[in-house]
Amino acid sequence: MLIYVIVPAVIFAVVAALAMLGGSRRRGRRYRPGRPYEFTPVWFLSNAAGGAEPGGGRELAAGGTYRALPATSAAAGLTVQERPAGPRGTGGASDRW
Amino acid sequence: MTAGSHTQGEVNPVADPVDSPFTTRQLLRLDEALRIADESTGLTYSLYVGELDEPVRGHAEKLLAELPAPDDSVLLAVSPGQRVLEIVTGANARKRITDRDAKLAALSMAAAFTGGDLAGGVISGLAQLADRGGRSR
Repeated sequence: MLIYVIVPAVIFAVVAALAMLGGSRRRGRRYRPGRPYEFTPVWFLSNAAGGAEPGGGRELAAGGTYRALPATSAAAGLTVQERPAGPRGTGGASDRW
Repeated sequence: MTAGSHTQGEVNPVADPVDSPFTTRQLLRLDEALRIADESTGLTYSLYVGELDEPVRGHAEKLLAELPAPDDSVLLAVSPGQRVLEIVTGANARKRITDRDAKLAALSMAAAFTGGDLAGGVISGLAQLADRGGRSR
């Protein structure tokens, strides 16, 4: 009768161990929307484009050297596809999720 | 891979990999996607992942202006904490990547982020924008 207890328990333990080991192999915390995001801002640039970015990345402190811009209504809040050009003739798109 | 080791390639995991939202493998794929986008279009692509000060669009445009060649650059700014993403195309770049193309890329990126796939969304967004960017001269 003990076999019916021990064997399933061993199988359960093996599967549980594999599941836990498989999970910890993934580095980095998985992002989920709605959870707070607490990483330092990172800016990625391919190294071929300008050696001004050492190592291809530049770390910015959150809100560090950014000065408040004069109020511009050009692109603020627009999500329609044809938007007027930004202050320096820039374009693009915005979205939320 | 031990913490703090540098990956081979251009992207430097600025902090200990454990502190990055991306795994080392994702960083490598990201770097590759940026490199391919740059080489195939001749434009300069960059990606900013982090908090954006209000107004978000203004901050993203200011970031683009800090690049060496802003008119020929495309910036993807993603703020997972605020759940907002901005694609900013420079004055010359926006002639090749229309606002509509950018909006389509933004939609697919937002869809991926909703599912929690930060790296995949960014990489596929980069691929879409690179594809729309045309061939380099």
